[in-house]
Amino acid sequence: MSSRTMARIRGVDLRVAIPLSALIILAFLAPVVMVALGIAPYWFHVAIVAMFYATLAASWSLLAGYAGQFSFGTMAFMAIGAYTAGLLGQFLAVGVVPGIILGTLLAGLFGLIIGALTLRLRRTYLALFTIAFSEILRLGLMAEHKITEGPDGLPMEPLVNTTSKVPPYYIHLAMLVLGLAIMYALVRSRFGLFFRAIREDEEAAAALGVHVVRYKIFVFVVTSMIAGFAGAVHFHYVEILTPNVLLILQMSIVITMAVIGGIESLIAAAFGAIFIHFGLEIMRPLLNWRLVVFGLLLMLTLRFFQNGLLHPILQFVLRREDVLAETVAKRKLPGEGDPA
Amino acid sequence: MELEIRDIHMNFGGLKALNGVNLVIDEPQLVGLIGPNGAGKTTLTNIIDGAYNPTSGTVWFNGERIDKLAPYHIAHRGIGRTFQVTRAFRRMTVMENMLVPAMAIHPTADRRERSQEALEILEFLTIEHLANDEGGSLSGGQQKLLELGRLLMMKPDFIILDEPFAGVHPKLQETIYEYIRRVRADGKAILLISHDMESIFTLSERLVVLNFGEVIADGDPAVVKQDPAVIEAYLGEEDEEEEEETEELGDG
Repeated sequence: MSSRTMARIRGVDLRVAIPLSALIILAFLAPVVMVALGIAPYWFHVAIVAMFYATLAASWSLLAGYAGQFSFGTMAFMAIGAYTAGLLGQFLAVGVVPGIILGTLLAGLFGLIIGALTLRLRRTYLALFTIAFSEILRLGLMAEHKITEGPDGLPMEPLVNTTSKVPPYYIHLAMLVLGLAIMYALVRSRFGLFFRAIREDEEAAAALGVHVVRYKIFVFVVTSMIAGFAGAVHFHYVEILTPNVLLILQMSIVITMAVIGGIESLIAAAFGAIFIHFGLEIMRPLLNWRLVVFGLLLMLTLRFFQNGLLHPILQFVLRREDVLAETVAKRKLPGEGDPA
Repeated sequence: MELEIRDIHMNFGGLKALNGVNLVIDEPQLVGLIGPNGAGKTTLTNIIDGAYNPTSGTVWFNGERIDKLAPYHIAHRGIGRTFQVTRAFRRMTVMENMLVPAMAIHPTADRRERSQEALEILEFLTIEHLANDEGGSLSGGQQKLLELGRLLMMKPDFIILDEPFAGVHPKLQETIYEYIRRVRADGKAILLISHDMESIFTLSERLVVLNFGEVIADGDPAVVKQDPAVIEAYLGEEDEEEEEETEELGDG
C-alpha cells in the first residue's frame, strides 16, 4: 500500500484525523488525570470557559476568516441563544435541553435576518451594523429588566444537578467537538470553496455561478446557531446571565483569540481561544498587566504573523494531502519526481 | 444558442453609456466587439452578465429574458465571462480557483473527476505546474490564463472575453489564441472585446463596432474595416496616433 493510500483511507485524511483524534482523547482523559493529581476544580472551570470561547472563536473564524464577513455580532447571537433558553425556563418552565434547542434555533433565525439585512454591506459597514445590533440588544435587555433582570442577572437552571465540574467539562467538550466537526465538514465541502470565493471577490464569484446571496446568509445562519448553542449551554452552566456579555470588550476578546490563533483556520482559532484563556488565567497575579501582555501579543501578531501564531504551526503538523496532490501524482510519469 | 439584445439604454446619472443598442448572436461564432475608450463595450458586457440592470431595453438568452437576473443565475444559464482587470481569487490555489465554477454550476459533480479535468485544462493553458500555487502569486498573464481556465470549468455556451490580450506576454498570447480556437471548435459562441486590432481581425468571424453607446457597424470584419464611419470613429483615430508615433520616431 503506498504512503498516499495510507495517508487517506475512505476519504479521511489520516494526517489530520490521527493528531486530532489524539487531542480529543487527551481532552477526554484530562479530567481523570486532573482528579488523580488533585488539581483544583478551579482549573476545570478555566477549561470549561476556554472551550466556550473556543467554540465562539471558531464560529467567528468561519464567518470572518473563511467567508470574509467581518461581523461583530457573534456575542449577540450567543446572547440570543442564552437568553432564549433562560427566559423560556424562567417563564414557561421549559427544560434545559428544549431551551437550548429553541435558543439555538432563534439565534439561527436572527442570523438569517441580520444576514439578509447586511447582504450589501462590506467590511467596516458590516462591522458597524453588527456593533449597532449588539448594542441595541444589550440596551434592550437592560431596559426590560423586569423580564430579563437586567444587570442583576437572569437566573438559569443548572446544566446538570451536581456541584462537580466534570460533567459540565464533558458537555462543553462535546459542544466544542460537535461545533468544530460541523464547521470543518462545511469548509472541506464545496461550501468552503464558495465561502472563500465570496471573501476574495463577490462579483467574480457570482459571475462564476456562486449563489452569493444564498451562501452569505447560510454562513450567517450556521455561525449564529453555533454561537447561540454555545451561549445556551454555557450560561446554564454559569447559572446567571447579564447583558454585560454583550459589551464590545467581550466580542473583542473573541476576535482577538481568533486572530492570535489564526482566523483562516477553525482549529487554530479554537486553540487560540484556549491558549489565550489559559494564558490570561496563569498571568492573573500580574493583575491588569496581563491584559497589556494580551494587547501586545495581538499587536505583534497583526504586525508579523497575519496568519496567526498557531495556524502556521498547525499547518506544519497537520500537513494535509488534498485531491489535487493525488491527481498530480497520478499524472506523473513513472519514477518522475519521486525521491529514490 | 441565441443571445438577443433589444434596444438597450444605460445611463449613469447624466451620462448615456449605451443608447439603443441592438445585437443578435444566434449562431456559434466569434463576434469581435470594438470601439474607442468609453464607447460602452464593458458596460454592454456587464449588462449581458447581469452585473448591471439596464435603464431600459431587454436581453434574451435562449428565449428567456435575463436582464433582471442576478449574475449567478445568468452563469447557470450558460453565459461566462472574464474581466478586463483579472479577478483571480488571490488567496485560493489555482486548483481551487478552477473548482469554484465547476462545483457551483454542477454541484453534484464528483470533485476528484473535476480536479482531473481542471488539470487537463491547466495543462492546455501551460500552467499545470502552478496548480498548487495561490492565485495572487501568478503573473498578470498567468492570471488571465487562469480566468480562461475557470470559464471552461463552467462549460458555458456563450463566452465573453474582455481584453484577454491586455498586458500579456506574446508567448502567453499565443496560448490564448489556441484557447479561443479550441473553444470555437467546441461550438461555443464568443464575444471578444479587445483593443488589439491584429487579434480582432485575425480571430473574428463578425465584427461589431460601438461608438458613443451606439452600434455603428456590424458585419464581416473585412467590410467593417472599410466602413467610413468606423475609420472615422476608431480606426482613423488609431491611424492618426500611429502616424504621430511614426513622426515622433523619425524625429528621434
